[in-house]
Amino acid sequence: MSLVIQDIQIHSPGSSLHGKTAVGIESGQFVDPAQLTNPQVRDGHGWTLLPGLIDLRVNLREPGLEHKGTIASETCAALAGGVTTVVATPNTDPVIDTPADVRLVLERAQRADTCRVLPTGLITQGGQGQLLAEMMRLMDAGTVALSQGDAPFASTAIALNALKYAASLEIPLILDPTLADLRGGCAHAGQVATGLGLSTNSPLAETLAVRLYLELVEATGCQVHFSRLTTARAVQFLSNAKSRGLPVSCDVSLAHLLFDESALADLNPHFHLTRPLRTRQDCEALRQGIIDGVIDAIVSDHAPHEPGAKLAPFPETEPGMSLVECTLSALYALDREGLPFAHSLRAMTTSPAHILGLDWLGQIELGYTADCVLVDPHGQRRFDHAHWLSEGENSPFFGTTGLGRIHGIWVDGNDRTDRVSNGIRDDLQ
Amino acid sequence: MPGPAELQLNRDGNLRHLLTTEGLSRELITSLLDTADGFLSTQGQPVKKVPLLRGKTVVNLFFENSTRTRTTFDIAAHRLSADVVTLDIRTSSASKGETLFDTLKNLEAMQADLFVVRHSAGGAPFFIADRVTPQIAVVNAGDGTHAHPTQALLDLMTIRQYKGDPNNLSVAIIGDLRHSRVARSLIHGLRAMQCPDIRAIAPGTLLPSDLSALGVKTFHRIEEGLAGVDVIVLLRLQKERMSAGLLPSEREFFQLYGMTEDRLRLAKDDAIVMHPGPINRGVEIANEVADGPQAVILNQVTNGIAVRMAVMAMTISTQQADALCRS
Repeated sequence: MSLVIQDIQIHSPGSSLHGKTAVGIESGQFVDPAQLTNPQVRDGHGWTLLPGLIDLRVNLREPGLEHKGTIASETCAALAGGVTTVVATPNTDPVIDTPADVRLVLERAQRADTCRVLPTGLITQGGQGQLLAEMMRLMDAGTVALSQGDAPFASTAIALNALKYAASLEIPLILDPTLADLRGGCAHAGQVATGLGLSTNSPLAETLAVRLYLELVEATGCQVHFSRLTTARAVQFLSNAKSRGLPVSCDVSLAHLLFDESALADLNPHFHLTRPLRTRQDCEALRQGIIDGVIDAIVSDHAPHEPGAKLAPFPETEPGMSLVECTLSALYALDREGLPFAHSLRAMTTSPAHILGLDWLGQIELGYTADCVLVDPHGQRRFDHAHWLSEGENSPFFGTTGLGRIHGIWVDGNDRTDRVSNGIRDDLQ
Repeated sequence: MPGPAELQLNRDGNLRHLLTTEGLSRELITSLLDTADGFLSTQGQPVKKVPLLRGKTVVNLFFENSTRTRTTFDIAAHRLSADVVTLDIRTSSASKGETLFDTLKNLEAMQADLFVVRHSAGGAPFFIADRVTPQIAVVNAGDGTHAHPTQALLDLMTIRQYKGDPNNLSVAIIGDLRHSRVARSLIHGLRAMQCPDIRAIAPGTLLPSDLSALGVKTFHRIEEGLAGVDVIVLLRLQKERMSAGLLPSEREFFQLYGMTEDRLRLAKDDAIVMHPGPINRGVEIANEVADGPQAVILNQVTNGIAVRMAVMAMTISTQQADALCRS
């Protein structure tokens, strides 16, 4: 079956279709609408058609943590955020460190039939950072990259071995730059934590790890994607490394673009994150990093929790924010705060597609996979219990309204709008 | 969402909980200290009890062990004629896996009027105050490394007693400021009282980041930091700091930062020496200073009872007034 979406503004910078008012979809790909005979027609009411967003870091919680979220629930939440491709983290329970675990995630994702789920596996057995996992067997089973989840390597020796081994087999790695002995602490070591007496995480935990891993990349040639940068200095180091031609890329989480350490002043547990919110200057540098292209991608770092996980004094709550279904609205909000939408869109479409080596994703372009979102950028969107799709309501956006009402969403050319109809339905008064 | 500093005041700016000294006004602290001074005068009488809280129930919730603070809260509540129940939660429900939230709901159902809370997690009393029914007051008796507001108030009371208004004094705090809720609360309190010169003296490993943002000058050499100060506040050094690699030894700490008679002479002649207790002789303080005329450490303990009486009386009276308004 073929489809024409018409009376739209196609927003896909760099594509030959950018600015056009109609596009065709056939066999899961974007095609020229003129060449279709008797297509179904969808009227876009002058709204914007965006490429589906690609999110490189989403905790889907399954297997084992279904009380926080399931692959079905969290991929629906992703769709409602305009996200059509999610890269799933391996820190589930059990963790993803065998081919069977990878197959389980892929099967559950297929059954959910929502957005595209790309699993990652762990570099080390059990994510303990000590012994290498069967890296190539994981890749053969369908992972797109391997990572350490939230946990660092136990030693520099195992990090070096992991990068050497991965380089020789051309396995891309996603690394959280943090050192084992400097991790921990629930807040940035800065003035807010000092005033409140919260346990602290030094920015050196990140900057030292970035420098260490960059040396290892230089020595091994391994392709490394640095995930969740939080400091201005780390952005600088990455900028230098890229100009030296190292095979590195990096991302930042939405929370770190939206907020800084001052958000912790009220001890609101939503702002307790694995990687702490840092200073205003860091936040500004991260935004500038997106504009300059030093930071390649934006991730939601979606981490849904059951209510009990956040029902405790701040330091005793579990870290993480449920954010994926606010992704598109967050990009519009950032646009109003000076991070132009064109840059943040690139960081969630063409750039992550390129990092994953999936160059048929991320644009509305002839011959590309038909992942797209029909959105009214000026329409209001409500984030409350009745509209919330994620199992985790642990979000600072919960109970608010945002910009960007989604009216249609397609994955692989298939209409998935019905999957999120509860989340995007129009009952704003 | 209001933070601890906002939540503890009602709409009229009166104290309904005491969670932190951060955000308290000079006027409010002064009125607390005046009330405490009043109670202090009753403490010398043969009959020390006043009937202010007769019929009220004070529940001491100690999730973390404490002897002195708990005892002084106990005595303070008794002297106000309240009924006092002390729950050592460490050995009861928490160890059976009950969450803080459920413990709280259970205790609330027992119709208490005031919770005195000590907890190892910073923000725990705030968490409780944010969720209790409106007629219950919450007083923080120390939470993690966040705050110990009654200690700060008794320190301010002692300073005022001996040195007058802090708004023209130099105060030096010496020792482990990084892990000290006492230091943090005192700094916020001194700032509220417009103290123009607050100094922190410690090695880099025992200082938190960005202390200057709180208006504190830091010194690594005690000789520089003590010059001309009116008030010296020593902090207790926990043995864990050595095992965590923050300090080489107690001996070296004493050599560098211990309060000796020689060092005391660098401060003003009439400077006072305070310590929240319990003191480690030969670690933070030399015997001669601890037992010398400038030490006011035991007066702090006496003032602690009066301050806690004032805090309990004030928070419960705000709650009562608010309850009247509601009805």
